Amino acid sequence: MATANPTMFQASDLNQHNERVQRRYQLLFGLMTLLLITPVLLILGTLVVKGGGAISWEFLLTAPTDGMRTGGVFPALLGTIWLVTVALLLSVPIGVFAAIYLSEYAGDNWFTRMINLAIINLAGVPSIVHALFGLGAFVLFFRFGTSILAASLTLAVMTMPVVIVATRESLQAVPQAFREACWNMGATRWQTIRRVVLPNSITGILTGVILEVSRTAGETAPIMFTGAVFFTPFLPQSVFDQTMALSLHLFVAATQVPGMAEEIPFGVALVLIALVLTMNSVSIAFRMWLRGKKKW
Amino acid sequence: MTHRSMLRKLAVLTIGAMAAAGASARTEIQNKGSDTLVNAAQSLAEQYGKVNPKVAVAVSGGGSGTGIAAMINGTVDIANSSRKMSDKEIKEAQAKGRQPVEHVIGYDALAIFVHKNFPTDSITVTDLAKIYGRDGGASKWSDLGITIPGCKGEIVVVSRQNNSGTYAYFKEAVLGEKGKFRQGTLDMHGSKDVADLVEKTPCAIGYSGLAYVTNHMKALCVAPQVGKPCVKPTEQTAFDGTYPIARPLFMYTNGEPTGEVKKYMDWIKSNTGQCIIEKEGYAPAKKVSCK
Repeated sequence: MATANPTMFQASDLNQHNERVQRRYQLLFGLMTLLLITPVLLILGTLVVKGGGAISWEFLLTAPTDGMRTGGVFPALLGTIWLVTVALLLSVPIGVFAAIYLSEYAGDNWFTRMINLAIINLAGVPSIVHALFGLGAFVLFFRFGTSILAASLTLAVMTMPVVIVATRESLQAVPQAFREACWNMGATRWQTIRRVVLPNSITGILTGVILEVSRTAGETAPIMFTGAVFFTPFLPQSVFDQTMALSLHLFVAATQVPGMAEEIPFGVALVLIALVLTMNSVSIAFRMWLRGKKKW
Repeated sequence: MTHRSMLRKLAVLTIGAMAAAGASARTEIQNKGSDTLVNAAQSLAEQYGKVNPKVAVAVSGGGSGTGIAAMINGTVDIANSSRKMSDKEIKEAQAKGRQPVEHVIGYDALAIFVHKNFPTDSITVTDLAKIYGRDGGASKWSDLGITIPGCKGEIVVVSRQNNSGTYAYFKEAVLGEKGKFRQGTLDMHGSKDVADLVEKTPCAIGYSGLAYVTNHMKALCVAPQVGKPCVKPTEQTAFDGTYPIARPLFMYTNGEPTGEVKKYMDWIKSNTGQCIIEKEGYAPAKKVSCK
């Protein structure tokens, strides 16, 4: 064995064939991924090119004037922030607590299976149906009137499944051994949840919240009947006021107002996307900070 | 300070701020309905904010049907409508203890939109009925002896969704009380959508308020029947009733208006309010001279 066989490290036909197949599939998957981000880039590109000219501090911080054809979007921007904040305050605690119960306390029986099924179905209900539910339940039955409260409650009901599912998934991703170790130290169920399970799943819960913010800020149908108006000269001061909202303002600017400069609807869309990204980046930053502290 | 107590303080502060803000007093007037009127209503609300800063007029669209339903359900102070409330609707409202009072705040000419390539400048109501009516007989422009450059096939008939007051009024004025729209019309959810579509489609014909006419289309001169002179849609012809498809625009209040609603309605009917309506492209309900 003084000299090695010279063909030993050469690729055989089979190796070369496998290599080609492997490249082909890599290319295919790569292209699919590229296809996935193309619409995102196109949308953002179009918005920036067509709406960028409309954006200024004045656009962000003044009210619309001259029959909404000039001026800014401040009341709508503020209104969307109100709607999203109140919806989050309402749905995140309920959603997270429900998920904790379902994941940590409830046994696997027909009742919890039914609740799970109901949650999945709730997520599939079209937003316009939620809108009518909100109108009937919150505006008329509970007599909240068309108000931020009614609109945010509707949004909260609509986005609750997102929070519950995301929370439950991340709770279940915490290894069972962690809990058992904790119980064996004599900790109660709640102490285990509070000290071990929640700190280890908070990043996943925040992902759910991020998804909820995006969906809440963008929805038009559920708020159209329950709290958002075409125009109001006042800024909202309490949850019982009506408000303008960016998503509805975009719809109005694009379809209802004659003589609207083309850049304004695009500008409104750009502001809406920027708002969602800003709100999300706060929680993404928080999530990254928490992840950095994770010990496993 | 730990994170927990900080979060708690923040929550308390937020809720406290919301509660404190809720205590301040101001009057809100709910104004909802017709998409035709929504821009005029918005302009009125915007200007009234300068006249009386303590009163907020919140405006929403949705269609005349939406406004009237809200009036029946008692969720609005003023319902905008581009058609009269039907007897059935008034009875329904009365059954719920509301007394709708009608206010004419202006007039609107329903302009007939066509593409700017359209060869002539006029059309008769008879031809409109042929185009829009069920079994009207005209499905191609050649059926009416019209050739449009850039259009080969069928007439693209643009209409409105069926809870629109514009839809209801057009049906009554062109097709008669019992008339029915043909099937296969493109039903748009707003006057501006009709205008946008007709601008871009050589084969199209559509209708909407005069306020929605743009420079990129033709608004036809309309003759009541063959052989009669045609009348151009203008604020003047809508006001004096010579234009064959002009209609009053209504606001409905629950009972004779009182308090802030009365002040607002009076202001709308005043010279200032009427001039805003004229500026938005509608004919005012009374003769006014505006700058």
